[in-house]
Amino acid sequence: MHFNKLIVLLILLLTGCYQNEIMQKKEYIFGTIVEVTIYGETKDHASDAIELVFKEFRRLHNYLHPWKKSIIQDINQSIKNEKIYTTDDEEILSIIKHNKELESMTSGYFNPAIGNLIKAWGFHRDQNPTDRPNSILIDNLQRNLPHMSEINIHRGYIESKNKNIQLDLGGYAKGYALDQAKKILSENNINNALINIGGNILALGKHGDRNWVVGIQNPRKPNPIGSISLNPGWSIGTSGDYQRYFIVDNQRYSHLIDPNTGYPATNSQSATVLLPPIESSGTLSDVYSKPLFIAPEKLKFSIAKELGIDFYMIVMADGKISISNDMLSVIKWHEKIDEKNITVH
Amino acid sequence: MTHSIIKIINQDHKVAKLAAIAIALSLIEFFLPSPIPGVKPGIANIIILFTIIKFDFVTAVWVSIIRVFIVSIIVGTFLGPTFFLSLSGSIFSLFFLFLFKGINGKYFSVISLSLIAAYAHIIGQLLVVRVWIIPHDGIFYLLPIFMISALFFGLVNGMITRSLLNLKYK
Amino acid sequence: MKKISQFIKKIQIGDLFTIFIFILLTGYLSSILWNFPQGEYLKIHMGKKEIGSFSLNQNMTKVIEGPIGKTEVIIDSGKVRISKSPCTKKYCIHHGWIKKLNQTIVCVPNQISISIIGNQSDYDSLNY
Repeated sequence: MHFNKLIVLLILLLTGCYQNEIMQKKEYIFGTIVEVTIYGETKDHASDAIELVFKEFRRLHNYLHPWKKSIIQDINQSIKNEKIYTTDDEEILSIIKHNKELESMTSGYFNPAIGNLIKAWGFHRDQNPTDRPNSILIDNLQRNLPHMSEINIHRGYIESKNKNIQLDLGGYAKGYALDQAKKILSENNINNALINIGGNILALGKHGDRNWVVGIQNPRKPNPIGSISLNPGWSIGTSGDYQRYFIVDNQRYSHLIDPNTGYPATNSQSATVLLPPIESSGTLSDVYSKPLFIAPEKLKFSIAKELGIDFYMIVMADGKISISNDMLSVIKWHEKIDEKNITVH
Repeated sequence: MTHSIIKIINQDHKVAKLAAIAIALSLIEFFLPSPIPGVKPGIANIIILFTIIKFDFVTAVWVSIIRVFIVSIIVGTFLGPTFFLSLSGSIFSLFFLFLFKGINGKYFSVISLSLIAAYAHIIGQLLVVRVWIIPHDGIFYLLPIFMISALFFGLVNGMITRSLLNLKYK
Repeated sequence: MKKISQFIKKIQIGDLFTIFIFILLTGYLSSILWNFPQGEYLKIHMGKKEIGSFSLNQNMTKVIEGPIGKTEVIIDSGKVRISKSPCTKKYCIHHGWIKKLNQTIVCVPNQISISIIGNQSDYDSLNY
């Protein structure tokens, strides 16, 4: 009797139902956890593509690092010494050009030229700072606030007359990496993947017959406040005061510094934007959450409107939620939210 | 019947008779209310077990499969989820009966076979449910209910089959 | 009664063994499968399609369109039941309330299944 064969067949049949369709890798890059998940590809194909993506992430991390040896540091050094920085690297020229555009689009709330301020606040280290800087130093840096518009990009070189400019692309690099990862995965015929770089997420395709679903962190509790089903190609980014921050005298100081005051913005706990698959949407989901976090409460909604952000949610400093009508229609709450704590725009 | 064009051999008559009884039992079961959803005594299994012991395995396969098709056509579930549940349960049940039919003898009786068939039936049905109807593991929560009923009805059906076998043909 | 006791006396040793094995199996699997904490979310499927997950911490009524009609599910702060169903036997309605992790109600004719799940499998990644 073929008893053994039949038993083997039965076991295969039973275990076949529990096959893993997901390939995932996590690594610590950009000072945060980076996670790439691929759905429904053969193991070899998926792991090859994941390796290519992580290779690109490591390259960008070293390339755009704000305070270690990188091209950004070289440029900052040249500007500080009032020298011209010559380069034939088209990529960095286009990145800086994009940052110039973004600063003017966000009325200066996204300002990647304020490396000196961020450094003064102690965020140019892997660990969170422990003490408040001298307020005279901060006020002085703020009075001489540099702008991206003062950087001139020419064919083959960059120069600036303002030696206070110090580039810090900390609010740009992770989003840019999302777009790069999207490009690499598409080139390698990976159609269904979820990329998460320190909470900035881009969805490619779907998870089988359903969308990718992402949880949105509650800024003050260790669990998600809600979740969103990401349509194919959509991305989501959050700026929050609960990852990079320190507390002195019961006052919370986060890395999200308001260029208009020189001090960390304190009117919000988190700002989340959800973007459709437009050009550079990964980058924009990272960048756009900053003005929504930093700008004064009255201006947040007009800025969202100007930037064309239809889906956003802001958890204000008092824990109340300001949310766009579009966002409200797609978010699924994981907590009971009192209606009087929600403002819909 | 006697003037039928198709030649009907004795074997066909036997299968038809047995299948007719199995179908009747299934229909009675279908129209009687069940105390717990999804739990059925499976009294048609008595006929399948009886057939395996008294006649042979192949005849039992015919009886079982004909029953599944005819009953589902009569009650209107043919090719629907309920039909595939029933079919898969029957196939698994037959498969395990095929494996274990040899144990019937000095130490084991048809009662053991009945229990094996009842549990195999659950496996077959739950597999279809898990793969086709409910694609997650939540249904395994229901397994204990099905197992307890399989234990009870497997035992009762086995006892009935044994007395049937003793009664008529000893 | 007498007949049954006579009958039981005649049970063969092998059958006793089989019965014993199945009692053990049933008891063991039941103790594993039914030892569940309270769930947090309700997951609804229509066939293979996931309709969605809903927090149990609310009061809501959800209507799902299945192949033979509309099934209505009620969430009532922590517990769930099927309240309306187009199927003939209404087993799913008689099943009553469920509230513990992995508890499931199935309506085979309308291909609807509702299960209580925990927090873990609710999203693929976290935005923070």
